[in-house]
Amino acid sequence: MIDVNERLDPEPPAVPAVPAVPAPPAVPAVPAVPAPPDPGPDSLPDGRVSLSYAGVSRRQLLTLGAVAVPCLAGATVLFDWLSGLTDGGVAANAEPIVARYDPAVHRWGFVVDTNTCIGCGLCGVACKAENHVPKDPEYARTWVERHTTTSDGTVHVDSPDGGIDGYEPGAPPATLAGSSVTDVRFVARLCMQCENSPCTGVCPVGATYRTPDGIILVDEERCIGCGYCVVACPYGARYIVPAGGDMPRGVAGVADKCTFCYHRITTGRRPACVEACPVGARTFGDLNDPASPVSVALREKPTKTLKSDLGTKPRVFYVGLEGEVDA
Amino acid sequence: MTVTVAGREVALSPRLAYRALVAEVERTPRVLKVWYSFLLALMALGAVGAAFTLAPGTEVFGTTPSFEWGILISAYVFFAITTSGLCLGSSLGTVFGIDMFRPLEKRHAILAVLSLTTAFGIIALDLHYPVRMAFGAVFNPSFSSPMWWMGAFYAAYLVFLLIEVWSMFFGHDDVHRYACLASSCTAVLAPSTLGAVFGVLFARGFWYGLFTPIAMLVTALLAGSALLGMVFYFVVRFELAGFERGRTLAIPAIRILLAVALVGSLVLLGRGLLVGLTSEDLALHGGTMALLSGPLAIPFWIRLVGGLAIPLVLIALPATRTVSGTGIAAGLAFVGVIVDRLLFVSAGQIIPTTAVGGVVSDPYVAYTPSLVEISIVLAAFAFVAFVYTLAERYLDLREAEVHMGFHLPRVVATAPERLRTRWAARRVAPAPTPADAVEETVCGEP
Repeated sequence: MIDVNERLDPEPPAVPAVPAVPAPPAVPAVPAVPAPPDPGPDSLPDGRVSLSYAGVSRRQLLTLGAVAVPCLAGATVLFDWLSGLTDGGVAANAEPIVARYDPAVHRWGFVVDTNTCIGCGLCGVACKAENHVPKDPEYARTWVERHTTTSDGTVHVDSPDGGIDGYEPGAPPATLAGSSVTDVRFVARLCMQCENSPCTGVCPVGATYRTPDGIILVDEERCIGCGYCVVACPYGARYIVPAGGDMPRGVAGVADKCTFCYHRITTGRRPACVEACPVGARTFGDLNDPASPVSVALREKPTKTLKSDLGTKPRVFYVGLEGEVDA
Repeated sequence: MTVTVAGREVALSPRLAYRALVAEVERTPRVLKVWYSFLLALMALGAVGAAFTLAPGTEVFGTTPSFEWGILISAYVFFAITTSGLCLGSSLGTVFGIDMFRPLEKRHAILAVLSLTTAFGIIALDLHYPVRMAFGAVFNPSFSSPMWWMGAFYAAYLVFLLIEVWSMFFGHDDVHRYACLASSCTAVLAPSTLGAVFGVLFARGFWYGLFTPIAMLVTALLAGSALLGMVFYFVVRFELAGFERGRTLAIPAIRILLAVALVGSLVLLGRGLLVGLTSEDLALHGGTMALLSGPLAIPFWIRLVGGLAIPLVLIALPATRTVSGTGIAAGLAFVGVIVDRLLFVSAGQIIPTTAVGGVVSDPYVAYTPSLVEISIVLAAFAFVAFVYTLAERYLDLREAEVHMGFHLPRVVATAPERLRTRWAARRVAPAPTPADAVEETVCGEP
């Protein structure tokens, strides 16, 4: 319980900003710059300080609030903008990715750097919050796997709770305790937005479709919930939305998957997971733009796609998995 | 008010219907009453289970995103292919007019309609939006989807079957012939397309491939023949309508069908195992190993021995080529196909495509059917058994005399003969040419 009369700060409240605010004409008697009150004589017997005793009228307090709220909001916007500048260490991402959206001119791509990923799971948290993905780890638009390589070259893959709680950095799973581990890396997974997508062709009612910019979406008004696309996806990137709790787009019983946060990228923002990643392991951009972060990453780093032998032509590229056999 | 159906008067007024029902129940033998009660109890259980599935997205199944298709899909596949198998076998009598297969036709048609409607009912419960599916398939068809084609073929199949049954019981011979031909053609198309639903999924190595539709077709023949074998065993055993022809013709005919289907299934199973064991595809190899020595091994080996090998031996040995031997072989094969469909759907998904949700890459994906799923599947079998028992009791299922095979339209049927006659006439009396006239003149000289 907060007592408005409680003195939170032993020092008198800072008031230099107040003079800038013109006093309302209705209260000319109130001095625009009240002198710092002397806490001693104005103190209540129990040590608290009354507002009136502090020399601040209720009107002045409201005026202060009217100024402070817009200032705080402005500061938040400024902070977001500054965060964007430094997010992932890629300054180019600070610019809105599009000005006016024309899907025909974009070809979105995604690069996951497994050398950089620390397995914190913040991407999964951000995704669930942004897209109202069910809390149950079984249902995920994005998740993080731990690939542990032992000395015999075997890669053990696990993903307890989809990695949403974060992994202990560099630690192998408990099942491999005592084994000779040569490498532990974290691999973020999401829909591959395949150019030859197996999910779109099999849908009996055309509810799953590809946009001109290459994003595969699900029409929740048309989906019948047969699960054919879920079974057809080689990457396990789809699920049927369970009823109750969080539901993307508020509809249960339909297929759902990562859309690269289509609602964000078409309004000039980046996917939530990209913005949430504290180490810049996820890079998003336009493959048609040679200067985009994704194009730069693809030029500068060796990458591979998952299950490339299937011919699905994913648009999610991985850095650091060159030596790993597809699983 | 009453109407006469199949020679029996059926009351239309609720009061009369109630009285008729009470009277009929009193006349029903005690054994049948117990049988009906058992089936009705199962159906009631399934109805309760089905009620839980009505709200879209309700998590009442044991399936997960890693194992999306459970025993309802297995049951759907089973009933759908059984429908096709029933028609494949009996088409030898209904379309090709082979006498020994003709006793199958009425019973096969009833069973096929029941089996297909049950399959549709199951898939409707498995889908989250079945009504949307019905409209979506018509107004937003996706012609690239095997599932759409499967639905289209099975929907057409149901129409053909209903026409076949109607024309058979009401004596419309010409309509019946065409309905039989259409349903027999669809009986090949539909299960093949159902096989393609699985066969096009390259993400699922165990299902993927050209042989999946072929295997589905052979399994369909096995399922349909086995069901007919069980039914005709009871027909002969309890001396039901047409049991004489059933004993002398239908049972040997079913033995032939079963033998062909069992050998075909064994050959295709052997091919699948051989390919799976030597494959480098993780899903195909892993699925095969799951069958041979993994979590699916026990039902797989039981099915292989009990559902394929023993029935084949029972049919092959002269000593067991009897009505009882055929009935037992058919029963074992029937149960074997049920197990086989469960294994088929499971083995295709048991190798995880991802490690999401705590699944580790090397073990198998776990799936345990829920009580709701089990109750629906049991109710589906109970429904078929219940309605078929009623049909056996109240309909005249003796061999129909509506046709003797399929006859082509007169214009088409007589076309070769007319052409032959015309050509022969031209050869015998060719039109005179100027050369002929000259030759005739020369030859005519003294």
